[in-house]
Amino acid sequence: MNSRRNFLKQISVAAIAAGATPSILTWALPQQQSVAVPGEDGMVLRSYRFFDLESPVEYFNTWLTPVPHFFVRNHMHEPSELDPAAWRLSLGGEVEKPVSLTLGELSKLETHSVVNTLECAGNGRSLHRPQVPGVQWGKGAVGTARFSGPRLRDLLQRAGVKSTGKHVMFRGLDEVPGKVPPFIRSIPIEKALDADTLVAIHMNGSPLTRHHGFPARALVPGWIGAASCKWITEIKVLDKEFVGNFMSPAYRFPNQPGKPGDSVKPEDTHPVTALSVKSVISGPSEGARLKSGRVAVHGAAWAGGADIAKVEISTDGGTTWSPATLGHAQAHYAWRLWTYDWKPGKSGDYTIMSRATDSQGHTQPPTAVWNPSGYLYNAIDQVNIHVA
Amino acid sequence: MSHKVFPDVFRKIVKACSDVEERRFSAASSVINDAGFSPCGRPSLRSLLFSQPLSCNVRMYLARTLAPIVLLALTSASPFWARAQKPAPPKVTTDLPAGTMQAKATTACSECHEARIILQQRLNNAAWTKEVDKMTKWGAVVDPADREALIDYLSKNFSPDKPAYEPQRTAPDKRGKTSK
Repeated sequence: MNSRRNFLKQISVAAIAAGATPSILTWALPQQQSVAVPGEDGMVLRSYRFFDLESPVEYFNTWLTPVPHFFVRNHMHEPSELDPAAWRLSLGGEVEKPVSLTLGELSKLETHSVVNTLECAGNGRSLHRPQVPGVQWGKGAVGTARFSGPRLRDLLQRAGVKSTGKHVMFRGLDEVPGKVPPFIRSIPIEKALDADTLVAIHMNGSPLTRHHGFPARALVPGWIGAASCKWITEIKVLDKEFVGNFMSPAYRFPNQPGKPGDSVKPEDTHPVTALSVKSVISGPSEGARLKSGRVAVHGAAWAGGADIAKVEISTDGGTTWSPATLGHAQAHYAWRLWTYDWKPGKSGDYTIMSRATDSQGHTQPPTAVWNPSGYLYNAIDQVNIHVA
Repeated sequence: MSHKVFPDVFRKIVKACSDVEERRFSAASSVINDAGFSPCGRPSLRSLLFSQPLSCNVRMYLARTLAPIVLLALTSASPFWARAQKPAPPKVTTDLPAGTMQAKATTACSECHEARIILQQRLNNAAWTKEVDKMTKWGAVVDPADREALIDYLSKNFSPDKPAYEPQRTAPDKRGKTSK
């Protein structure tokens, strides 16, 4: 019996060691097995809970990004219950007469459409050095879609904004775990009254999907994605900026570029609002091995509320630059696709770089401004390839 | 005797596996179901042996009863859980790496988010200290006596010099090719 007990003891130790084995394997091996998520097509799974998906840059070859290819960013859990019949959108705060609308009533209001490039403020975070905490986005937390719905301005006018109204706050139905601060943000009244700021209920002509904020989301064009709160159920006019974690310290940028890695005092920061000028190369892919002959270099470029003036390509490590051809499709807040027809002179390794300049004269820098939360990464893009 | 006990023990283990998995997913079950996911990962021996909700006695019982099966599994071509659940569903959860703080880190962090969020970080000790303190403020249950060990565990496993995390992809969805 004793020997049996000893055997069991020994074997238990083995079991514990063996129990750890799958974890070690999981950790050591690339996790390439795909995960089935209906309606999401070949997306990069940054997080499953919370649900965060990134588009592979190869998808950036259409002006409008199909919804199954559009990045998803959630700070919280998605609403567990969304009953369109019970859903209401209330508008109150610093207004003359508060308003409450059903989805049916909202849908009957005059609709406006905006083609907007939506980009997460943290897109490219993983490329900052030193590395910073947060979802480690590569280059694909961005997409372009046609958003439609009533203008926020029309709703605000219906409620009658008092002269004390300075900011407009959005509260969504996100479910907040633990003692995590709720994801509530506000935008200045001037942006809220802009003719292109929407309460969007459609995306690319179809009702919003759950992951993109069904039944209604804010659409604050040209600004970081975090401004466009999802699953909104309350709009409140405030006499000042909303006070909460996701207004400060989150989503703020240093007033002056500092030394990478240094901390920044809150009083030396400002809110992150408009997107920066940026381009990405959607093909050829990093590490591609190409046959000699013509190479179609292509990608997308955007600059928030500014237009793209030019995109330049370098195939010699940044020594010389040549203009890319901009695509015909364009809209005020939308990216421009671009192409560059390249004929490599000889075989070898090449670094292809893309550099966008906007209509206000801003050009993508060689190095992005480092900041503690890794926002607005917009360094000149590059891919390394081999031509046979 | 063992040939009579074995099926019984096996049934208990399979039941315990699914119970543990259900507990692990319970906080997020609505999210996962609503998103159309199948709430099932393969049962993890680690979670059986180290999960907080199980009492010490149960852990010891499971450790002892599991041992012969684990040894069998290690000597065969495919692990027993793969054969016990056919067809094997895709593994949708990931685990934190082994270590003395693995169980406590899993318990503290997974109330709000899954391990993937941690696996992809590459931070130094100072940055991990800030993160642990922020998350504790936000509701992560960390015994003050474990704080240093937790920071040390995260700093060692997820330091800037580690290779980049390789994310999974979602499966191709034919509807994605034709949708707007």
